[in-house]
Amino acid sequence: MAYFEYSNSPYPIRQDIKKEFSEFWQRLAKPGSWWTGAERVAIAQESRTAVNCSFCSIRKQSLSPYNVTGEHGSDSGLDPTTVDAVHRIVTDQNRITRSWVESLPDAGISTEGYVELTGIVVCVFSIDEFHRALGLPLEDMPEPVSGEPSHYRPAQAELGTGFVPMLPREGLTGAEENLWPNGRNANVIRALSLVPDALRDWLALSSAIYLSVEGMANLIGQDDRSINRMQMELIAARVSAINECFY
Amino acid sequence: MTTETDINLQGVNGDQEAAAVGIKHGKELMLLGEAVATRDQSLLKEARQRLLDEAGTSVLVDAAGVAANFQRMVRIADSMGIPIDDMESDLGKSVRTELDLTRYASAANTLQ
Repeated sequence: MAYFEYSNSPYPIRQDIKKEFSEFWQRLAKPGSWWTGAERVAIAQESRTAVNCSFCSIRKQSLSPYNVTGEHGSDSGLDPTTVDAVHRIVTDQNRITRSWVESLPDAGISTEGYVELTGIVVCVFSIDEFHRALGLPLEDMPEPVSGEPSHYRPAQAELGTGFVPMLPREGLTGAEENLWPNGRNANVIRALSLVPDALRDWLALSSAIYLSVEGMANLIGQDDRSINRMQMELIAARVSAINECFY
Repeated sequence: MTTETDINLQGVNGDQEAAAVGIKHGKELMLLGEAVATRDQSLLKEARQRLLDEAGTSVLVDAAGVAANFQRMVRIADSMGIPIDDMESDLGKSVRTELDLTRYASAANTLQ
């Protein structure tokens, strides 16, 4: 089945956006590093449910999100801890704490699983936000591909930055030798590196809807974009401010 | 390389006139980003139409992409608890001060 054709879109959508979204959708459906294809698609579906979750709305208003009890409206079949993680990332991300992340393995989600889950949620969420911004219907979820996750964990990942292990800035070897695009290794690039494919996914999507990491070095603007870098950064900064993003 | 263009950072905090200083369609672009991030459907419909009328379809599509991308980036940063890479840069310090960014809860990931 073909995805992201935009045949009924009132706005022409760039070919590279169609390509990257479509390729991500295919990867989403396949077994990942720590979740099966069915689980990955369920996590993606749950990210859509979270957007309109009434319990999340109540929790968002509370002084401490960790003292509010209730149930998310969920129909994905995922366990409650996984559902809650997805909803927190979508609706209350700036109150996620180290202690909550560190509690996840005891609740049944490995740290590696949490990183992959985050990667799925943020990629699907940004594709959906692109559609919502343009008033376009959301794409149908892909059909999951059977198989088992690889359980691949890069040997060089280490704790020390943020809540989860990440790959070091220098000296990457093996399959991760060229993971840092153009050698760029800011923390936001390192963030998902415990699951290298999650980082690869976000870099690919970013190159289509924002800029490639190489393109980020160009402070003027790219010829294949209709807005220049200042215009992009104004939008980026306003979105980040409303999300109360310190980073 | 920089553009040497004077801008007003308060556009980041929602000041519509400030957003227009030095940035073509700045007000309309800022309002689209604001509408996407606040998830207000009536605001979004209005902002989309204003940007479309002012700047056309290509600008609207590219602006939607940037807004969508940064809806993602903030969630990566906060979910993984990453600190700012360089707290000592003068530019970073001045931007954080002018925009009063330490009021955000996620500042704790850097300042603790």
